[in-house]
Amino acid sequence: MTDQITTDPSKPAQRMRAGSMSLTVGPWIVAAVALMLMPYIFTSNSALTIMNQMWITVVFALAYNMLLGQGGMLSFGHAVYAGVGGFACMHIMNNSDLFASFPLPVLPIFGGLFGMGLAMIVGAFSTRSAGTVFAMISLGVGELIAACSVIIVAFFGGEEGVSGDRTYAMPFFGNEFLQQIDVYYLTSFWVLLSAILMYLWSRTPVGRMANAVRDNPERAEFLGYSARWVRFYSFVASGFFAGVAGGLFAINYEILTEENLNTASSGVILLVTFLGGVGFFFGPIIGAIVFTLVQTVLSLQTELWAFYAGSLFLATVMFFPGGLAGLMMMHVPVFRLGKMKMLLLPYAKTLIPAAIGILGLCCLVEMTFHYRHAATGDHEMTLFWTTFDSHTLMPWIIAAAITAVGLGIAKMTAPALKEAWDEANTAGGTS
Amino acid sequence: MSTPALELTGLKKSFGKAEIIRGIDLSIGKSERHAIIGPNGAGKSTLFNLITARFPATEGTVKLHGEDLAGLQPFQINRKGLSRSFQITNIFPKMTVFENVRCALLWAQGYKYSFWNLVNKSRRLNEGADAILDQINLLPRRDLPAGMLSYAEQRALEIGITIAGGADVIMLDEPTAGMSHSETDYITDLILKVTEGKTLIMVEHDMGVVFGLADRISVLVYGEIIATNTPELVRADPKVQEAYLGAALEEEH
Repeated sequence: MTDQITTDPSKPAQRMRAGSMSLTVGPWIVAAVALMLMPYIFTSNSALTIMNQMWITVVFALAYNMLLGQGGMLSFGHAVYAGVGGFACMHIMNNSDLFASFPLPVLPIFGGLFGMGLAMIVGAFSTRSAGTVFAMISLGVGELIAACSVIIVAFFGGEEGVSGDRTYAMPFFGNEFLQQIDVYYLTSFWVLLSAILMYLWSRTPVGRMANAVRDNPERAEFLGYSARWVRFYSFVASGFFAGVAGGLFAINYEILTEENLNTASSGVILLVTFLGGVGFFFGPIIGAIVFTLVQTVLSLQTELWAFYAGSLFLATVMFFPGGLAGLMMMHVPVFRLGKMKMLLLPYAKTLIPAAIGILGLCCLVEMTFHYRHAATGDHEMTLFWTTFDSHTLMPWIIAAAITAVGLGIAKMTAPALKEAWDEANTAGGTS
Repeated sequence: MSTPALELTGLKKSFGKAEIIRGIDLSIGKSERHAIIGPNGAGKSTLFNLITARFPATEGTVKLHGEDLAGLQPFQINRKGLSRSFQITNIFPKMTVFENVRCALLWAQGYKYSFWNLVNKSRRLNEGADAILDQINLLPRRDLPAGMLSYAEQRALEIGITIAGGADVIMLDEPTAGMSHSETDYITDLILKVTEGKTLIMVEHDMGVVFGLADRISVLVYGEIIATNTPELVRADPKVQEAYLGAALEEEH
């Protein structure tokens, strides 16, 4: 007991103190350079569109995680703040005198202010408590505002939404944002700025207290902080950045509809954030990138992309509650112990057969879908560069065999992987 | 006579028909170490919860430095310089030990709901938190999640969080509950050290700790204080011996 509680100045924890005073700029520089270089690697217009969508989702997911991950508030209606910010930006775009008086890159600020304004109104009563009450209020408000889209036609434009033209803004150093690439750099600038600001927010007193209130609201109250006000500030900040995401959406697509507000969009952002991992700041970024890729690239390949996205989400929630970021961070201790290479072979032995087995399973799913839904007489389908007749028995046997063998081998090698994992996580011993 | 640090008048609390606190008058002076003892179910923790507005009182007043606390929320009472610990450890388990203490310092150092300061940049804040950690001997545990500490260390952290804000009235609810002898000694020394010059009000079961620490003792039985006096006189009081202390002392020796 006593030997546990003695001060030892040689402990690394105390030596690290000086280091923890400085903020790390490294990752941000890497991110900025990556954002700059991406259009040179992926040059096509469709790639630019995908990346724009990705960065907008990143801003929105990070804003959402200010609530869920850092403040412990589960919202089922966060799309309304992004949506209202976006609609406000569309109306500014359509007000030609006002729109011509400032350059386009400033527009997302207005989206943010409108998102923040709405969050202040809703937050005034919804942040009284976290948990189920908050979740239900968010759902109710979400439904309410989504329903308003067909009622308040002047603002939400009814069923066809509101559209505009971003090029009527004051030229920004001669640039009128006619090209996709111009919009890409505008979006990149905002994603970087928003991410940095949201990161810094989490390092401020109110950001730290958001964590404290999430963990133990009662204790926070006995430290002089009103849990409700701490939640309110998180909520308002989150509403601001959601509104910025909405403004970026408006610039990108030049149209907003009811779809930007509805519960389905709110559900998607929850899914994205959770998929990436709520426990780490960068989790939602990974979630947004992975989800957008699934949504865009995979949807070109198969009509069933939502099914696969759902399965991925389900698997993440069930097996890796920390999300993809949690999965990555699990490897940090192994890496520190220098035992990463111990895991390579067991990983290959399990994950390669598992991947093949899952692809086999996907083949079975696709074949079933084709068998049931293709036009009558259309028996031919193509999977993995192989064309065959989905109404004969042979492809089914092959796909089923691949699935069974792949997953079977994965199941057989899984205990060895578990053993290697435990070994790799233990300090000392031979490596 | 100067204003007492804490003054209770006619304090009552009922849950439904059951009257748990049945009219308490108590005055605790500045820099006094006051212990509240009594058998299980006497209402000691309820009394704490009434003073700190965790529960609303049914009747009566609580005055801190002469100021009525009626209608104030716990966080407002804390800002007036009253800080408490809990019988069941109440910390932020997922945050590091250091962060726990730093959060406790934020309001006291005037940061309020600031989003224009960075906590890592404030030397006063971080050094203050380290000084508290040093005081409660948890520096070696600084960067561990608080939930991973041993029970005694969590209790020490709880005390650290309670005193960090610099409150001048400290209320500790059974700080040594469930501890071994050596752990109890460690916490007792710690309490003596960190409450130097402050008003301390504690609920405690361990008579060794009570008689070692307290300037005055109040005995609470069935929601009423039957005696308030110095340790020697309380020990000698036949009423107290009858109600509680005698039995407890016999048990211990």
